[in-house]
Amino acid sequence: MTLGAVVMLAPIVWMISTALKPESAVLSAVPHWIPKPATAENFVQLFTQAQDFPVFRWLLNSLFVSSSVTALVLLVASSAAYAFARMEFRGRELLFMAVVATMIIPSQITLIPVFLIVQKLGWFNSYFGLIVPGLAGGFGVFLLRQFFLSIPVELEEAAYMDGAGPLSIYWRVILPLGKPALAALAIFTFIGSWNDFAWPLIITNDIAMRTLPIGIMIFQGRYTTEFGVTMAAAAVCTVPVILAFLAFQKRITEGIAMTGLKG
Amino acid sequence: MRSWNPNRHARFFLLPYFALFLLFVVAPMVYGFVISLHKWYILAPHPTFIGFANYSAVLKDDLFRTAFWRTGYFVIMVVPLGNALSLLLAVGLNQNYRGATFYKVAYYLPVLTSVSVTAILWRWLYSTQFGLLNYYLGRVGGWSVNWLTSTSTAMPSIALLSIWWGAGGNMLIYLAGLKNVPRELLEAAEIDGASPLQRFRAVTWPLLKPTTLFCLVMSVIASSQVFGQTYILTGGGPYYSTLTVILYMYQQGFGLYQMGYASAVGYVLFAAVLVFTVLQFKLLAFRR
Amino acid sequence: MAITKVRFHSPRLLALALVLLSVLCVAGCRSHRQGAAGDVLTIDFWNGFTGPDGTTMEKIVRRFNAEHKGVQVRMQIIPWGTYYDKVTLGLAYGGAPDVFILHASRLAEYADCGSISRLDDLVTRGDLPSNDFTPRAWAAAQWKGRQYAIPLDCHPIGLYYNTELFRRAGIVDANGNPKPPANLAEFLADAKKLTRDTNGDGRPDQWGFVYTWLRTNAHTFLSQFDAGWLTGDVRRSDLSSPNAKQAFRLMTDMIYKYKVCPPPEGQDAWIGFRTGKVAMALEGIYMLTSLEEQKDLQFAGAVSPVFGAHPAVWGDSHLLVMPKNISPERRRAAWEFIKYLSDHSLDWSKGGQIPVRKSILSTPEFRKLRVQYEFSKELPYVVYQPPSTAVNQILPFCDAAVEAILNRIKPMDEALSEAARRTNHVLERQ
Repeated sequence: MTLGAVVMLAPIVWMISTALKPESAVLSAVPHWIPKPATAENFVQLFTQAQDFPVFRWLLNSLFVSSSVTALVLLVASSAAYAFARMEFRGRELLFMAVVATMIIPSQITLIPVFLIVQKLGWFNSYFGLIVPGLAGGFGVFLLRQFFLSIPVELEEAAYMDGAGPLSIYWRVILPLGKPALAALAIFTFIGSWNDFAWPLIITNDIAMRTLPIGIMIFQGRYTTEFGVTMAAAAVCTVPVILAFLAFQKRITEGIAMTGLKG
Repeated sequence: MRSWNPNRHARFFLLPYFALFLLFVVAPMVYGFVISLHKWYILAPHPTFIGFANYSAVLKDDLFRTAFWRTGYFVIMVVPLGNALSLLLAVGLNQNYRGATFYKVAYYLPVLTSVSVTAILWRWLYSTQFGLLNYYLGRVGGWSVNWLTSTSTAMPSIALLSIWWGAGGNMLIYLAGLKNVPRELLEAAEIDGASPLQRFRAVTWPLLKPTTLFCLVMSVIASSQVFGQTYILTGGGPYYSTLTVILYMYQQGFGLYQMGYASAVGYVLFAAVLVFTVLQFKLLAFRR
Repeated sequence: MAITKVRFHSPRLLALALVLLSVLCVAGCRSHRQGAAGDVLTIDFWNGFTGPDGTTMEKIVRRFNAEHKGVQVRMQIIPWGTYYDKVTLGLAYGGAPDVFILHASRLAEYADCGSISRLDDLVTRGDLPSNDFTPRAWAAAQWKGRQYAIPLDCHPIGLYYNTELFRRAGIVDANGNPKPPANLAEFLADAKKLTRDTNGDGRPDQWGFVYTWLRTNAHTFLSQFDAGWLTGDVRRSDLSSPNAKQAFRLMTDMIYKYKVCPPPEGQDAWIGFRTGKVAMALEGIYMLTSLEEQKDLQFAGAVSPVFGAHPAVWGDSHLLVMPKNISPERRRAAWEFIKYLSDHSLDWSKGGQIPVRKSILSTPEFRKLRVQYEFSKELPYVVYQPPSTAVNQILPFCDAAVEAILNRIKPMDEALSEAARRTNHVLERQ
């Protein structure tokens, strides 16, 4: 157990430890796990290269893109999930199966055609290009539909009696009750979008439009052997995600259970 | 339940998602295949229809074959070992004792890193002169491995870091599956005098089959598409020993802008993975 | 739980969201370049000159802008790593500049599909004398007999040698000046004298020669032995030919038989020359500024020794091109700028390049640039990358083969036949 934790955590701890060491201490023959003169100079160096490596801009890009993707996915997936869960329409089962099926399709084969489509739309090197294609994933619809099915119908029927229309019911009944699933989906989506690598790599080549994971790769391409500042870059990219996760981790395991994948 | 919404309401609720779904999931799958039937350098005035010529060229391309077998090598290393590790961790977590949450979070943390972070971090760990791994190996047995720079160890190194990176994901799924095993059955087996290992073999493992099948299938699909680690750490080297199919597709499509050929590369991989997935279902779903 | 009657704020929210969306839509789409404001036409110029050559180019552009009030040039420097991606995507989807740099080795790809503008009409006007250009550089700017570019410079590799080490080893001519080798025999003799183990640990600390950029070095050796990456008709790989193998055998022997050169270390080897630990290296003229910065280094340049049958060296050129879809007005303006750059290529060469205008090469000001002058003697026999649209695709195979051979990772025949097979496969697909 403890060995497992050590193995899994050690690299991350080492990353942070290296990030906090002055460059001279980083390349020492004997590794010290605790940085004795713990310093922030790597982080300072990281953020003061705006001319060639606009790290702050990358951070903002990642924040903006991931937040937008999350907010829009919640909106879009929940409305579709509501329709699947509560409304009857021709082809409902078939459509839902199609959505689920695409979750299994490897996404990499659509990289090229989506790239070409996004170019045609004029969204290359733009926030639209970064955000919109990420909204089409089926996981959100799947997760939320399962959850919505479990909400007792009586509440909606009561609202209907009171004269509320479907939009109002969706907004004022389903969504508030769906908070646990929405929170799980939000965290999943945010982390997934933040960490996304292949798509932002392809759809941007302006240095100012890069997201953080791409940016830190570019950064370490220049500072190949300066591991202190490289680890600082890696830390900046991953610590926010880890913190967000720690705050919401209960929701995530609940989310997995909700999908009914266990059996 | 009474359906009280006529279809027209459903349309509005479905529209945003399905517009995106059609444009960015369905259309690309078709369009991608159509492109693969053309010779299309992105600056050419127009694509030229060549039927399946790209596909026969891909199958004859020895670099593609290299990438294909290297990808297979990667999958064979990562899937069994990775799933075994995930299962092991899940079994460990399932013994509900204090601090389980801490361990669960600890095991899951690597999954939260971007492939970019993981790659950069492990490049540091794998550093021949100053990396942690070579330091401890040196202390233990005086070894020093050229992890990422030797043709024999480069792919296993990438496999190792990929296992570390992904173990936590499947672990949660296995954990959910384990929690589904009825306690009564396990208790009954215990009363009958079965050891933990026997209890696992007789009770848990059969009930875990669907979960295991799911995890294996998803692992194969995911690991066959390995790209980020190889792109960032080795660029396919040294001497093409870490060239993977998606990396090759990327080089053809976004390095050389041969859109048709690159598309064909992707679809050949897709076909291979599809066949393999079907095989997995046939072979593994059989054992009841 | 009772739900009160809903007042629909939603439609207003919805409307607001739609407005926001459409605003973002307009902003998110690519912004189109502004047209000419007033009577000043601003043209965009892209290049990849991120080093000191960029500073040199900046000065020339500033002078152009000062001297031309009707046309202003807006220069953008894009690191070579993403440069060709941006150029290709700009040409394909819009946003390409009005004039930009292409390496001669990449011209074929862009010319063959018609994405760059033909310049024949501008050249025949005669305001840029075509016979003032050195023949090989001029030919490198053509594709299938048509003019697609104007060469700005030529950057061959040549011999850099450490004059201090040469003097100490006694390799001097009648006047006591260091004498660089001219052929294989002299080269080997000199290199052997210059490879020394100064601290007695059994391994040389001073090397007579190092390989730096393998691609250019190998290309040079191959060309001198009448071989190349591709056959003369650029239809098949030439790597498995007897001449090619002879060239590679010699390159390998330098390391393992004559022991005048260490196994290749890539660009790190150049540091050895910069720090005075290496006596000779074959590198491009563009590396000159990095040597001039090294204060205590005494060096000189010379034409590359002839290792094989006849003189030949690797070289490339920066070409000035325009996109196909360019308005006549901008085309005229870009042509003015191209002419200006070519006429001022002496200034450009000070940054570590060689002009290709005969009228400039013969001036005393140019002769004062010692290393450029020596290297310019190679212009008559510079060998460019083969004229094929597949060059960019096959060079990685060649690089891998050369590295494998010189590092003895693979036997030579195997490495070459592998690269040849892959090359031929790409050529079949063209």
